[in-house]
Amino acid sequence: MSDAAALSAAGAPRFNWIAAAGVIAPFVIALIVGALLLLASGRNPFEIYALMVTEGFGGMSRIAATLSAATPILMCAVATAISFRAGVFNVGVEGAFYVGGLAGAVVGFTFVALPSPVLIVTELAAGAAFGGALMTLPGFLRARLEVDEVVTTLMLNFIAINLTGFLVNTVFLAPRTGNSATPMIVQSGWLPRLAPSSTFNLGFVIALALLVAYHLWDRYAPLGFEARMTGINARFSRAVGIDVPALIMKVMILSGLVAGLAGSVHAAGLLHRFVAGFSPGYGFTGLAIALLGRNSAIGMLLGSILFGALASAGTTIQLFSDIPIELVDVLQGTVTVFATVRLTQLTLHRRGGRS
Amino acid sequence: MINAILDSAFLVTTPLLLTAIGGMLNRLGGLVNIGVEAMMLAGAYIALVVSSATHSWILASIAALSIGVVIAVPFSLVITRLGAHEIVAGIGFDVAVAGIIGFILKDYYKSSGILRLPDVVQLPRIIIPGLDNVPILGAIFSNKDPITWLAWLSVPLSAFVINRTRMGLRLRAAGAAPEAAVALGLRPLFIRDISTVVAGAMAGLAGAQLSIGIVGVFSVGISAGRGFIALAAFYFGRNRPGLTAAGALLFGLFDAIQINLQGRGIAPQLVQMLPYIVVIVVLTGLSITERRRRLMRGV
Repeated sequence: MSDAAALSAAGAPRFNWIAAAGVIAPFVIALIVGALLLLASGRNPFEIYALMVTEGFGGMSRIAATLSAATPILMCAVATAISFRAGVFNVGVEGAFYVGGLAGAVVGFTFVALPSPVLIVTELAAGAAFGGALMTLPGFLRARLEVDEVVTTLMLNFIAINLTGFLVNTVFLAPRTGNSATPMIVQSGWLPRLAPSSTFNLGFVIALALLVAYHLWDRYAPLGFEARMTGINARFSRAVGIDVPALIMKVMILSGLVAGLAGSVHAAGLLHRFVAGFSPGYGFTGLAIALLGRNSAIGMLLGSILFGALASAGTTIQLFSDIPIELVDVLQGTVTVFATVRLTQLTLHRRGGRS
Repeated sequence: MINAILDSAFLVTTPLLLTAIGGMLNRLGGLVNIGVEAMMLAGAYIALVVSSATHSWILASIAALSIGVVIAVPFSLVITRLGAHEIVAGIGFDVAVAGIIGFILKDYYKSSGILRLPDVVQLPRIIIPGLDNVPILGAIFSNKDPITWLAWLSVPLSAFVINRTRMGLRLRAAGAAPEAAVALGLRPLFIRDISTVVAGAMAGLAGAQLSIGIVGVFSVGISAGRGFIALAAFYFGRNRPGLTAAGALLFGLFDAIQINLQGRGIAPQLVQMLPYIVVIVVLTGLSITERRRRLMRGV
């Protein structure tokens, strides 16, 4: 809680060199770790990194692939940031993403007769609703019973992943296909493609709109202001009359709504169905991005585009240059490890205290 | 049937138990460690490689324990000295270590899933004469590997250390009252680091039991979230070794029942959800009793 609070306080407009270094350092360390791994495998890291930049950003089709890969990451980052703002450390976005994805897919292959726009909106609404519903449990437990949300939301991820895994293998299993996939969403329920012969679709526009909405919510909406105040100092907020438990409940549900929406956008825009292993950890990547971007809209946009580029470049360099895609996990994981490091502590040698 | 379930329950409990006791000590020292998943995975990998190369299960186990320590040190330092968030850093380590091992598997062994190596010496099974054929007791005690015995030995041992030794007192002070510990001239962050190293060693050893204990092969999914189930066990156990062991055994039993009943109408995913549900219920119950106690005191 204190970490999210400290991070939500760091939104000052003045340029802060230490803060900037805190954002860049994780990437530098990750590149070094990745370079060591590449060197050990007998490759030239500079060559590989140059290749990754080309594969991530070289040309319109590569940029489209990058933005397509950035879409779920960006939405998960926004979902996480909403709760962080209020000092609620929600690590359950991954689980809500799964639940929302399954809900969206089920609507998409069930109500096939609906007109396309209606069907798409219904899919997305279902995804958001189920994501939000999932988060009411940890929200309620935290707000009313003071149960630590870090552990409950972390555990809820595995419950959601296993539950959707069960459903996709039983009631929603596609007939006459392999294991663990729902039937395809009917084509009228797909999000429209924005570029020919690429996976780039309307989902990215939805993610951008969501990001703008988050920014406005954060800056101008009363709830956003209350959340930010509570994140900085919950006792003060209570003293000035904010109903903190109700606020926690609201941001938790809002976070779940966005995470569920992210899942249904992923289902309707990219995979066109729900499969086991639906997310390769988008929720956790989004968490790292929200932390690195310090919950700011521009920071999260840059971060998710960067991670999206990593993901899309990783796929193609595995195909064409025989470099295991796990390199991307190594880079992303290392960035995550250092995402919350506070550089100020290097000089202020702290003795004791909970981290 | 019951004997088969008990036998496999005690075998699959071992990695959970070792990791949970390590995680419990770590949490007592003030750090919630979900990096144990990474340490377990690395231990499983190294144990297989060393066992294949040296034909010694003892060396393989030592290597697994050591790799756990090697990962635990930077993990702990990033949290205690650089102020990283323990859960976020843990997730990062889990992803990065799995990535490194997956990279090596594909690039060096040209395998994208399962790693089989020649001449792997598996952990021996200790057969207790006279007890082996006794129902229930034989299934529980006989035909178990040394790491399993070590795991159960760690339960009374950790209870003794926590409750009866100066070291245990210092450990608890580092976690519960670091300022007081500083006032007494202790170094709480150092103590916390040591507790992470112990957790890493135990998780690494747990990994060895996974790869060379039961199957004799390694796969990138071999740890399969067991670090998180261990976390569930030590949250269930509330810092008490006995209760933590009971939690690990309960989850091991769930797992064994699911393995033995596969294809008989019990969905594995539903059984796998149970540990996590138990944790949420336990935490909620704890919170309710805590609130009630506070209300009684009128605070």
